[in-house]
Formats: sequence, C-alpha cells, structure tokens
Amino acid sequence: MDYLIQQSLNALSFGAEYALIALGLAIVFSIMRLVNFAHGEVIAFGGYSLAVTGTLLTGNPWILMACVVLACMAVAVVLERVAFRTVRGADLTTGLLTAFGVSIILQNLFLLLGSPRPVAATQFIFLDRTLTLGPVRVSSLQIYETAVTVAAIVALLLFLRRTTLGMALRAAALDFEMVRLCGLRANRVVAGAFAISGFLAGLACIFIMARRGSAQPHMGFDPVLSAFVACVIGGFGSLPGAVLGGFLLGIAEVAVLILLPQSAGGLAHAVVFALVALILVWRPDGILSPAREKGDKL
Amino acid sequence: MSRPRLNSAQRRGLLGSALLGLVVIAVVGAYYLWGEAWQARILYATFVNLLVVVGLQVFMGNANITSFAHAAFMGIAAYTAAICVTPAAMKAVSLPDAPWGLNAFELSPLASAALAVLITGVLGLLTGLFMARLNGVGMTIFSIAILVIVHSIFLHRTDIFKGNQALFGIPKILDLPQLTLMVVAAIFLARLFRESRTGLMLRAAADDEVGARAMGVDVFRVRLVAWVASTLFFAAAGIAYAFHLGTISARPFYFNFVFLTVAMLILGGLRSVSGAVFGTLLISIGLEAVRWLETGPVLAGVKLPELLGLSGLALGGVIVAVMAFLPNGLMGNREIDDLVLRRRNGG
Amino acid sequence: MLEIGRLRVFHGVIEAVHGIDLCVREGECVALLGPNGAGKTSTLSAITGAARATGTIRLAGRDLSGLAIEDRCRLGIAIAPEGRRVFANLTVRENLVMGGAIRRDRRALAAEIDSWFQRFPVLGERRDQPAGTLSGGEQQMLAIARALLARPRILLLDEPSLGLAPQIVGRIFRIIEELKAQGTTILLVEQNAAAAIAVSDSVHVLSNGVVTRQGPAAAFGDGSGLMDELTGVHG
Ligand SMILES: Nc1ncnc2c1ncn2[C@@H]1O[C@H](COP(=O)(O)OP(=O)(O)OP(=O)(O)O)[C@@H](O)[C@H]1O
Ligand SMILES: [Mg+2]
Repeated sequence: MDYLIQQSLNALSFGAEYALIALGLAIVFSIMRLVNFAHGEVIAFGGYSLAVTGTLLTGNPWILMACVVLACMAVAVVLERVAFRTVRGADLTTGLLTAFGVSIILQNLFLLLGSPRPVAATQFIFLDRTLTLGPVRVSSLQIYETAVTVAAIVALLLFLRRTTLGMALRAAALDFEMVRLCGLRANRVVAGAFAISGFLAGLACIFIMARRGSAQPHMGFDPVLSAFVACVIGGFGSLPGAVLGGFLLGIAEVAVLILLPQSAGGLAHAVVFALVALILVWRPDGILSPAREKGDKL
Repeated sequence: MSRPRLNSAQRRGLLGSALLGLVVIAVVGAYYLWGEAWQARILYATFVNLLVVVGLQVFMGNANITSFAHAAFMGIAAYTAAICVTPAAMKAVSLPDAPWGLNAFELSPLASAALAVLITGVLGLLTGLFMARLNGVGMTIFSIAILVIVHSIFLHRTDIFKGNQALFGIPKILDLPQLTLMVVAAIFLARLFRESRTGLMLRAAADDEVGARAMGVDVFRVRLVAWVASTLFFAAAGIAYAFHLGTISARPFYFNFVFLTVAMLILGGLRSVSGAVFGTLLISIGLEAVRWLETGPVLAGVKLPELLGLSGLALGGVIVAVMAFLPNGLMGNREIDDLVLRRRNGG
Repeated sequence: MLEIGRLRVFHGVIEAVHGIDLCVREGECVALLGPNGAGKTSTLSAITGAARATGTIRLAGRDLSGLAIEDRCRLGIAIAPEGRRVFANLTVRENLVMGGAIRRDRRALAAEIDSWFQRFPVLGERRDQPAGTLSGGEQQMLAIARALLARPRILLLDEPSLGLAPQIVGRIFRIIEELKAQGTTILLVEQNAAAAIAVSDSVHVLSNGVVTRQGPAAAFGDGSGLMDELTGVHG
C-alpha cells in the first residue's frame, strides 16, 4: 500500500513536470509550427537566474520563485524576437534547425559565462521534505509539483477560454491569417504564446532546481527531450495531448523502472523511447492529434 | 551488353563529383606539401565527418526531413568493425567479460568491415520500414529515439562496448590515402543518387508530397531507399573511424556529434552534395581556428583568457545566421558544376 | 472610400491580377463579378494585405501599401472571406468576440453581440456551440457578423452565397440589402450575377485578371448578358 502510493506519486510528479514542459512546447508549435528545441535552455536560464539573483538580491524563496518565472518568460519572449521571428512562416525543418542552433548558442553561453561545473543554487531545496501522512511517507516536493501543475493547467484553461489573447491563441492554431484579419497583431499573439511557454517552463524550473540544487548548461536537455516525447505521444501541437502525453510518459517511466530488473536500470530510458517509437508507428499523429483544417500558417 | 546509359543530369553529376573530388584531393595535397604532422589527425577527422555529412545529405537533403540518428548508425558500425578486427589476444584484456564468445574470434579487416556494413544496413532497413511511414516531426522524433536507444545500450552493456571507457587495442588499418579514396567514392555515389530516378522522385516528394503521390511516386519506397543508402555511408564513416584511432568509446556517438554534422550540412546547404562538402570543410577549418582561440593563446604579446564554449557558440551562431539569412545554405539548390558552367557560359 | 489603381497581385511568381482600377464610394455597394480563377479573391487579398501586390490602394485617402494585415483591419477593412473561415474550435460567441477584438468598448461590444443573436436567432441558440458544428449558411452569417463587429469602414464579402441552398442565398442577400440600407460600404465578390447586381450600385466584371466591363448596375439589367463571360465560355 505504502509502496503503491509512493510509486503513483512518483508517476504523477514525473508526469506533471513533463506536462508543464510539453504544454509550453505544444502552445508554440500549435500556432507557429516551430519545434522549439531551445526550450530546455529557457529552463536552464531560469536555473542560472536563480543562482545569480539568489546570491546578489535576496534569499527570500518566494521572491526568487517569481524571479525565476519572470526570467523564463522574458528569455522566451526575447528568443522569439531575436531568433524565431526571422524564420516565422518558414518550413518545419528551417524552424527546427534554427531552434536547435539557438539551443547550442545558449548552452555555450552558459558554459562561457558560467562554468561547465554545476553552479550551486539551493534556495528551493527546502521544498523537498519527507512528509509522514499516517502510515505513508511521501515527498512534499512531489505533492507540490502535482498540485501546482494541476493548478497551472486549470489557470491556462481559464486564460484560453476567458481572455481575448487566449481565444486568439486557440484560433491561431487553426487559422493564423484569419486572426490577423480580425485585427489582432501577429507579433503580440506569438509573443503571448512564448510568454506562456516561458511561464510554464519557469514553474518546471522551480521544481527541477528544488530537486537538483544546482544549475548546469545541459540541465534542460533531458527534461525537454522527454517533453518532446510526451508531445509526440499526445499529438504534436495538441494542448490536451501534451498533458495526456506528459502524464502517460510519467506513468510509463515509473512502470518501466518497477518492472525492469535492477540490473537493467540503465535501459529504462531506452525502453521508454522504444515505447514512443512504437506509438509513433501505431499512430503517426499521436493519440490526440490536433484539429487542423487549414495547413497554411503565418 | 548494354552499358547503363546516363542522362544529361547524371553526366553533369559525374562532372560535379569529379570537381568535388579534385577539391578533396587538393586539400590532401596541400597537407602533404605544407602541412604539419599534428594536422593529420584533424584532416582524418574532417574526412570522417565528410563521409557522415555526405551520407546525411543523401537522406536529409533529398527528402528534406531532419534526422538525428546518424551517430547511432556510425557507432554501431564502428563497434562492430572494432570488435571483429581486434585480435583475440588483445580482446582477452580489453573485453574480458564479453558474452557469446565475442572475445574469442577475430576476422580480417575486410570481413570485419563487410560485417559492419551488413549489420548497419540491416538495422537501417528495419528502422526504415517504420521510419518511412512517418511525417516530418514524427520522423525527427523517431530518429532521436533511435539515437537515445542505441546510446543507452552502448552505455549499459559495458561488457561489450565498455560504455564511456575506451575500447582499446584496435589495429590501425586505414590511413589518409585510403580514407581520401573513400570520400571521393562517397561523393560520386551521393551525387549519382541525387540525380537518379529515385533521387529525383524523392526531391519531388519533398517539394510537394501530394503532387508527387498523384504522379505515382511511391513516397514510402523512395524514402526507405534513401534512408538505407544513407546508413551505409554512416557505416563507412564508423569503420573509417574505428580502423584508424585505435580506441573508441560511446561518448562521441551522441548529440554533440549530431549537432556538429548537422551544422555542417546546413551551412553548405542540404539540398546539394557540393553544399555538404563545402559546409564540412568550412566548419572544420573555422572550428580549428576557434578552438585555438578557446585555449587562450598569446596574441601580439597579450595572453587571451581561456574561453571554454566559444566553439559551440560559433557553431550555434552559424546555424542561426544561415537559417535566418540563407535558409538554403551557401549552395542552395546548386552544385559545383552549376557554378562552373554558369561562369563559362556567362563569360 | 476605397480607391484602387493599377493593382497587380502576385502569388509567388504567378501574377493573378494584371493592373485593375476600382473605386467604392462611401455607402455604396460595388459588385466584382467573374468566373473561377478570374482573380477576385486575389484582389480582396491584396486589399486586406494577405497577398503581395503593386499599385495603389487607398482607404479614405490613406495609402495602405506596406501596412500589415492587422493594421489594415484597424484602419477599417473587414472581410467575410471565401470559405467563411470561422474558427471552428471556438464557440459562436467567441468567434464574435474575436471579430470585435480590436475594440476598446467592451460593454458596447457585448451588447452588439447580443443584438446579432437577436437578429440571427439560430446563432443565438448555438452561442456556446463550437462554430465548426454550424451549417454552411449559419457559418456565413457568423462570418459576416464577425467582420461587422470590428465596425469597419468597408466590408469585403467574398462569395457569400457559395455552396448554399437558394433559400439561404436569398436570406444572405436580404442581409446585404439591409446592411446597405444602414449605410455600410460594401465590396461584394460574387458569381451569382443576378442577385449581386440587384443589390449593387455599380458592377465590375473581372476575367483573367483584367476588368473587361464596368458600369452602373442598371446597365447590366438582370445580368443575363453576362452569362458567357461568367461561365468563362469566351474567357
Ligand atoms: N495561393 C496561391 N498560389 C498560387 N496561385 C494562386 C494562389 N491563389 C490563387 N492563385 C491563382 O491566381 C488566380 C486567381 O485566383 P483567385 O483565387 O483570385 O480567383 P477567383 O476569381 O477568386 O476564383 P474563384 O471564383 O474560384 O474563387 C488563379 O489562376 C489561381 O490559380
Ligand atoms: Mg475566389
């Protein structure tokens, strides 16, 4: 019983992290058809900004959390402005490769300005404690992570339904030109999408930093790779698909870890990716492929 | 007996390949005339990369789909060739725990290479059967899955692959002259593939998949052919790598290498073989210069600071700049013969 | 209100419209007729900024060249496009909100949306349904209402009767008549010559990217003289 609850919480919190990151990828992809390889570096930027503001500014974790989220949002919007705007409307390959160039640049900037070794930033470690709930012992971080993700998804849903920008984002996923014909500024809509993706990356960054306690140039790479996988499972560009894919991936990872014999632990990654490959072959467009009536994008 | 007839595009292709071959030979010649001994290593690595990038062009360039799996196939070939060719006595030391008697046999270099090509090709075919059914993003993710899976296996089965440690004791079989021949041959093959019927259909499908299908192009088949053909180039690169260095490890066969080679292809322009060749040469030369800066050299009496990450920064900068200002790379859709012949016609 | 001079429109390297002149005065309804592929949609795309074009386009005396799609909309150009292009994944209400997205007066906008629901009760009943579930005629009404909620100076209508049953077509043209009576300036692209001429003040006939005939609507009678031109027999 104890074990079961712990493992389900594991799966939920893994899934929550992937869902947060995958949502950020999906919202950008849905309106720009851009596979944002540089999303991991947005997270890493959040990590470094924690290290910097944490030593220079304040030790107050709540202010620092706001700083991390704002830093991620800012860098995502700036990246769109300086790098992705020039390739807006280009084909998938061009966008993908640009993002991938941006990712290399940022990683090496971190290397150049920071250090190849981890930079300590332990301000969020306090989130991770062992809670004893009756007979069950669980990690507080995992509970926060799951709860915050659920809250973020609800907030995003409300934003997409209630605000004009939210509606524009949903509409732009289907027909960006028609959104512009309604007078909405393309640059604002795209910047809005990047800001949201940065916001979600910032939340994920807080939890990643709480677990790692240090920032490193490559720290965003693996989580984002998994989030890509989550997007693919759910159907690239579909927001519900990203959430579903994220949680399915979390469950799959934990299941593989449980089922695989101890000696084969190193292969967990391989098994998960093999599952993904199979899902792709079974359903090339993902489990929930997005409604797409008009293919032509801005 | 009728010789296979070449159409005019294919004859042009032979001319272009010959010109590119001359460029490659000129580089080698320059090294033998003026180069220094330490540059041999760099030149060899550049040519191995050239094999990979030309192979990438065969699939990515003609099908216009980004794939990141090449490092995996190269690694498979390198390990197969290395394990087969290393003398059993040496393997008793380097791979003491290898299963299935892997450390109890040895093959001739030729047989080892043939086996490596065969295994890589078969894996290419098996993955290709799935891969060729997917669409753009799906294919890219699938290729990443291949890369991650193969890398995990290299790391996990330390009894066979030694993981991140070196598998040592591989005899040195190839050197620059042989590799140069391989590179020139690869250029000819890639260019002939580009101008072949299959290559033409593949390029048509990349430009307009629906239209190509309507004209009766079997998109699945042509993609599969290109995919398998490109894995054979990667196999050659892996063999050339393993047969020269004496030791191999899993680390180079992962994302960093993938990024480097893809950047080479993008800079030159993925739609042409000439682009692949020039991109590789330019980035290799540029990176050597940047790496020299990176170590903090003394310039005009001033000691520059050590700048770790500069080469990566330059690489990323090149990719972004090329995508923004020259989305089709330096060469675009043009081959070297287009440049030469245009100049002659114009003059 | 809208003056177009020597307009040429390009799709990539293809030139779809070869230098046409056209003028819509305030409160007027001008019909642009022509067979398939004549360049009617291309002309409208040039006006909205969605297609590359040369020549002059002036709205209320202001040159539109170089302005982005959204800026032209903000200056007062709204379109109910070919194929209607309602946002299928948004509800009917949300589609209308998008139409009025550039407006600051939220209260007035909400009231206006309600008045559209009264005018088209079918839309009112389905206000919280995804627009993709509406019938073709309902979607056309939605597209027209969406365009008008931006309070444009000129309304562009691209084949509003396309693919609709005769009864619904009649309905749509009655709406156009009403709009005109309220003083809306309209540029109407149509293939249904008779109905379009009946609601218009002047008519331009486009064929293969050039204007072949133009004049006051009265000169075209019931449009039967245009049969050959519009079916492209001599085109
Ligand atoms: N996006 C495009 N790319 C290339 N050519 C185009 C494009 N859009 C239109 N064309 C070409 O421009 C010409 C005019 O097309 P347009 O859509 O303006 O005609 P139309 O008068 O609106 O026809 P219809 O009554 O069928 O809507 C046609 O020959 C068409 O093939
Ligand atoms: Mg039209």
